[in-house]
Amino acid sequence: MSDSTEKREGEGLLGKQTSRRDFLKYAGGGLAGALAMITLGCATTVRTREGRELRVWATPAGALVHDPNRCVGCKRCEVACTVRNDGKASAHISRVKVSRNLNFGVKGVSSAYAKADGQLGNFRIVAETCRQCEKPACGNACPTGAIHADRKTGARVVDARKCVGCGACQTACPWHIATLDRETMISTKCTTCDGDPVCAKACPTGALKLYPIAEAEKLLWGADVVSGATA
Amino acid sequence: MAQIFGYSGKILRVDLTTGKISTDETLKYKDFIGGEGMSMKIMWDEVDPGTKAYDAENKIIFGTGPLCGTGVPCSGRTNITSLLPTSPFNGVSSSHMGGYFATELKYAGWDMIVVEGKAANPVWLRIEDEKVTIEDARWMWGKGIFDTQAMVASFMGKEAQAAAIGQAGENMVNLSVIRTGASHSAGGHGGVMGSKKLKAIGVRGTGSVKIAGDRKDWMELDKFMMSIIGANNQMVVPTTPQPWAEFSDKSSRWTARKGLFWGAANPPVETGECNPKDMQSVGLRTQKAIFDLGPGAEKYTVRMGGCSHCPIRCHSQLKVPQLEKYGMDPYVANTCVGWSGPRGVMFNGIKDFDGHGEDSNIVGNAIGTTLADDYGVWCNYAQIGRDLKYCWDKGVFKRVLPADEYASIPWEKLVKGDATFLIDFYDRVAFKKGEFSHIGDGSAAIALRWGLGDDYWNDKNGKLWTRGGYPVHHSNEAGAQVGALISCFSNRDAQNHSHMNFIGSKLPIKIQKEIAGEIFGSPDALDPPNDYKPMNTFKARFAAWALKRSILHNSLTVCNWMWPMSVSHDKERGYRGDTGLEAKFFSLATGIKMTEKELDEAAARCFTLFRAITVRQMGDADLRAGHDHMNKWITKADKDKEGKEIPQFTPGTIQMTEEDMALAQTMLYREFGWDEKTGAPTRASLEMYGLAGVAEDLARRKLLPS
Repeated sequence: MSDSTEKREGEGLLGKQTSRRDFLKYAGGGLAGALAMITLGCATTVRTREGRELRVWATPAGALVHDPNRCVGCKRCEVACTVRNDGKASAHISRVKVSRNLNFGVKGVSSAYAKADGQLGNFRIVAETCRQCEKPACGNACPTGAIHADRKTGARVVDARKCVGCGACQTACPWHIATLDRETMISTKCTTCDGDPVCAKACPTGALKLYPIAEAEKLLWGADVVSGATA
Repeated sequence: MAQIFGYSGKILRVDLTTGKISTDETLKYKDFIGGEGMSMKIMWDEVDPGTKAYDAENKIIFGTGPLCGTGVPCSGRTNITSLLPTSPFNGVSSSHMGGYFATELKYAGWDMIVVEGKAANPVWLRIEDEKVTIEDARWMWGKGIFDTQAMVASFMGKEAQAAAIGQAGENMVNLSVIRTGASHSAGGHGGVMGSKKLKAIGVRGTGSVKIAGDRKDWMELDKFMMSIIGANNQMVVPTTPQPWAEFSDKSSRWTARKGLFWGAANPPVETGECNPKDMQSVGLRTQKAIFDLGPGAEKYTVRMGGCSHCPIRCHSQLKVPQLEKYGMDPYVANTCVGWSGPRGVMFNGIKDFDGHGEDSNIVGNAIGTTLADDYGVWCNYAQIGRDLKYCWDKGVFKRVLPADEYASIPWEKLVKGDATFLIDFYDRVAFKKGEFSHIGDGSAAIALRWGLGDDYWNDKNGKLWTRGGYPVHHSNEAGAQVGALISCFSNRDAQNHSHMNFIGSKLPIKIQKEIAGEIFGSPDALDPPNDYKPMNTFKARFAAWALKRSILHNSLTVCNWMWPMSVSHDKERGYRGDTGLEAKFFSLATGIKMTEKELDEAAARCFTLFRAITVRQMGDADLRAGHDHMNKWITKADKDKEGKEIPQFTPGTIQMTEEDMALAQTMLYREFGWDEKTGAPTRASLEMYGLAGVAEDLARRKLLPS
């Protein structure tokens, strides 16, 4: 549930999105109150001195990173995720995405499949995880403010009571990590399980780990990248 | 419709003759658990005796069970049941494959697929959740299994899983497979798909499997299982001494140790100490490549693969660049007989060839496995190589092959160990080229065709178990009469590991005997290796339990290459496992409360129905004489160096005796309540298992024992 007390309805479709760092740079009025919200963990929209609307997100504590070199493709992470979070077993709505890249990698089937990523190629298994983005496209696209920063972990999570099942988050995410559950018509995305992700605990080779966000960003995006999903 | 748990609730039915696609309810078969059990019920109800494997009237059933898709460790298996072409009477039989097909099918909302009829032209079946269509496969026909899977995914999306046949299945080679993923084969039923002109089944599932129990209870039970699970085949002792382990055994598949790597990973991944309390190293325990292919395979290992929801990775995935010399892709994967079956064709071994030096064996294995997996040729549990050797040694080929065909076969490569012989061999078999290709018909068929008599069946090196044409598979060498009994009932190699996952654990025999005493009533249920004793009732109980657990696992569907959890690596538990885990998971998953005993009784019902189908197909209730008999090499005493017979039941020999095995079969029949004279189900036993209708049918046909 969002803790924001300011404008939320439709906010993702409106003003400019920003991060906490941008916010500190630009924000003027209501600074103290907004900072309190961010510290608690939330997403909020404030108006700058110039009158621009800014969507401000608390910094997440951490994000999951997958190592394609160690992954064995057992998919225990996927099922652990959905059993804990949804009370049922599924691959499609898992917040960790192994299945969809299992056989043919991120890029999918090609005529050179036998040498490309995947179990039918070079055996490399590239899972995709939620990056808990600084400026989460999913959250900014949500028309009801259902996606917010968790109070404890800062993870971008879905408030099922507010989700209307439009799928805007799934479309907006560049990696389509947020996924609409067709059985409930509610979006699912990674919560990091309150900072103790069951997917990582279920991984039998240590291929999935939760890293502090600064380190995760390096592994996901930067010079130290290990995630095949970035490549 | 009320919420269904564990099961998806629906069976997909496809008639390829009419093109009709329909839906059936799973739970009307719930007395038969799922997978193999339900398939046996459908085969009994719907396939008339006298039907042949390649007839349109035969059905082929792809089955999952209520634990498949739930995430239970080692629950990614697909059971396939149909009439078996290699059986001399086309007996009903099951083949199994791992991989990811079964869970995808569950998530698409289907527990099973029942295919009947025969298409006019090649087709493939496309399943996208509830949407099912029959598609044109004329362009796929003729392709290998790898390309076929890629073609299916190109239509359905990269997420799709596919099960397909290769050229061998298309050509109705009896020894052919249905395969999915990189290396998961169900041997024996590829030709049945080919006879129906069904090239592949593609499936994509975006749904879920619902779990009835509290999710925290489920997660706790999963955690417990993960605390007792071992390595491949539930071997719970490491190969080398480890700081955490009391025991070690060089023959164990728990090969992980410091300094042992997935050497072709980038960077290489060390398997390491693998302390059982470290849940993030469970998948590293089994470095199977060095076990299957020798220490030289370490540097070729990219990773270990396996099946959905299984933490124990038993498929070696290798990069062998030398394959490119032969126009093959360098990536190749398999496990156990998936390697040794094709290798076995090279019956003189693989020697240095084409300059591969000390890596010749690995390159040769990789060539054979690539060919067998893409063409989809089955090895009949390595029997194809033994049949080749017998026919070579006995001059059969010279006798039966036309001279020009004989001259065209590169025998010199076979003799000197040049593995490029396999390229020629599999081409002939898969495409049914010439008389030689009948080696792919299977043992019973070549015995008939090429006039192979008693000498063939009774050849100890041939390892043929019965005249049903299938070989040993953890038989008398595995638990004496227990393994020997287990091998007598299927219409193919037994594929039973219920006993192996216990007695192959590598725990000291003293501990194993203690545990056997607790499960089966006496430590005498288990003899030490190479020190066998005559039959007793506890061994019969052990064998019956193993048979029940095998069909139970193929019904749930969980992997009988890991389950049951009879033992553990945990010294604090006295190395005990938990034989009640199947029932606990079943009850939590489905909401149907079942005790361990009740689930075993349901498995006995399924196995007895399988037995009844066999009676009806053979048209003879005397299965002891007509079906269960063993070839004579099994009961023939060994001889020592001086040519003197080594009496059975003395240390150093694993040979059985006819009298003792006859008693063993009697005791086993008694365990199931069958007729002790013939081994056929009686009216009383059928009624006890709730199969009164089956008893009526058999009575009408005069197939109930008197």
